[in-house]
Amino acid sequence: MASLGELERTLMDRLWAAPGPVSATELQQQLADRGLALTTVHTVLSRLEQKGFLVHDERRPRRFTPRATREAHAAELMHEVLGQAGDRQAALARFVGSVDAEDAAMLRALLAGGDGAGSDAAGAR
Amino acid sequence: MLPATALALGVLAALLAWPVPAALARARWPRRDPLAALVCWQAVGLAGGLSIIGALLVHGLAPWGHSLPEAWWHWVTWQDSAEPVRGDHWVAQTLAAVLALELLGVLALSGVRTARTRRRHRALLELLVRPSDTPAQGETLLLDHPAPVAFCIPGARPLLVLSSGMVAELDGAQLDAVVAHERAHLREHHHLLLLPFVAWRAALPVLPAADRAHDGVRDLVEMRADDVALRSLSGPDPRRTLAVAIVAAAGGAGGQVPDGALAVTGGPVAVRVRRLLAAPDPLPARARWAALASAVALIFLPTLLLLLPAVV
Repeated sequence: MASLGELERTLMDRLWAAPGPVSATELQQQLADRGLALTTVHTVLSRLEQKGFLVHDERRPRRFTPRATREAHAAELMHEVLGQAGDRQAALARFVGSVDAEDAAMLRALLAGGDGAGSDAAGAR
Repeated sequence: MLPATALALGVLAALLAWPVPAALARARWPRRDPLAALVCWQAVGLAGGLSIIGALLVHGLAPWGHSLPEAWWHWVTWQDSAEPVRGDHWVAQTLAAVLALELLGVLALSGVRTARTRRRHRALLELLVRPSDTPAQGETLLLDHPAPVAFCIPGARPLLVLSSGMVAELDGAQLDAVVAHERAHLREHHHLLLLPFVAWRAALPVLPAADRAHDGVRDLVEMRADDVALRSLSGPDPRRTLAVAIVAAAGGAGGQVPDGALAVTGGPVAVRVRRLLAAPDPLPARARWAALASAVALIFLPTLLLLLPAVV
């Protein structure tokens, strides 16, 4: 029994790979080997829609399209993680922030055994 | 009794709004004992808020009684004041209420907003990334991106994320060090230590101390996570392994320097690397206890000033 997250991922992968809008029935058929009930597909699709990953059209039956490409979502996430979106707190524990080229060179010099030029750059603030 | 109390609280508030945070930010001992310093920062924040609101409240309610609890009771039960109420009493009351509401409101708002962002990040990650067991143990997610990045999303179900750029840049022992560092953040709930300072920096943009305090806590939390990570690392020279990982992660982002106010300068990163390469002497036990005792005293002082006149 696959987890809900796993199912969400599988359906999104299908939708991202599809050339156009896809209906729940088509998705169920594509995944026939997993033996999913149509209601399960519907449940997962509406969860994905609630999370803002999908939009549906007004046809009957409804057909679903991803709201953005996979690459766009990844780029959005990294944008925030890299602190460019100004909301660093959410992903608080980023291992190290980026530093500029000069500081990076200084850090490498530190590692190499030099005592690092400007040793008080850190203390003065 | 009350005017003296208000004055004492006011002086304490002024000290905590400027000289104390400035001294703590400039001091060099915190990098020798990040944990004790973090406790001190929390105490400064809490005592600062308590004393400024307390000072305003004590002054505003002075006509209603001889101690804060008594005056407060008379005030909420709509009793007549014992002395004539002047305009400045009303102003102080209003300021106290506004400040208290702002500090608590911004804290709550900041908490809610952060929780929402985290939820969105988590949903995105769960969709974009398959759980991997290749890098270092357990629930580490591998995000496909060239920039060397590692971060964690705290919460009931914490997530730890490594970018493919990070994995490409580091060897196994270094990756273990990165993961241990992020795990330390999660285990010690560092996001909760930082949250009030993020909120109060937003609430008090005019107060330079709020900025200083935020930056101080942010950097100390990183040093603390380094220290905790070292304890769980094996290998010949874990300090150096972690330092190399930090330098690789900081330098490899090539041109991805954030230009906003949140940009991280080389300063704190260099401090981290330096204290890993040459371990600072741990703070002597006496000094450590003195720091912790001052933190406790700092919280007790305004509390006693507010409550004691009711007893004596």
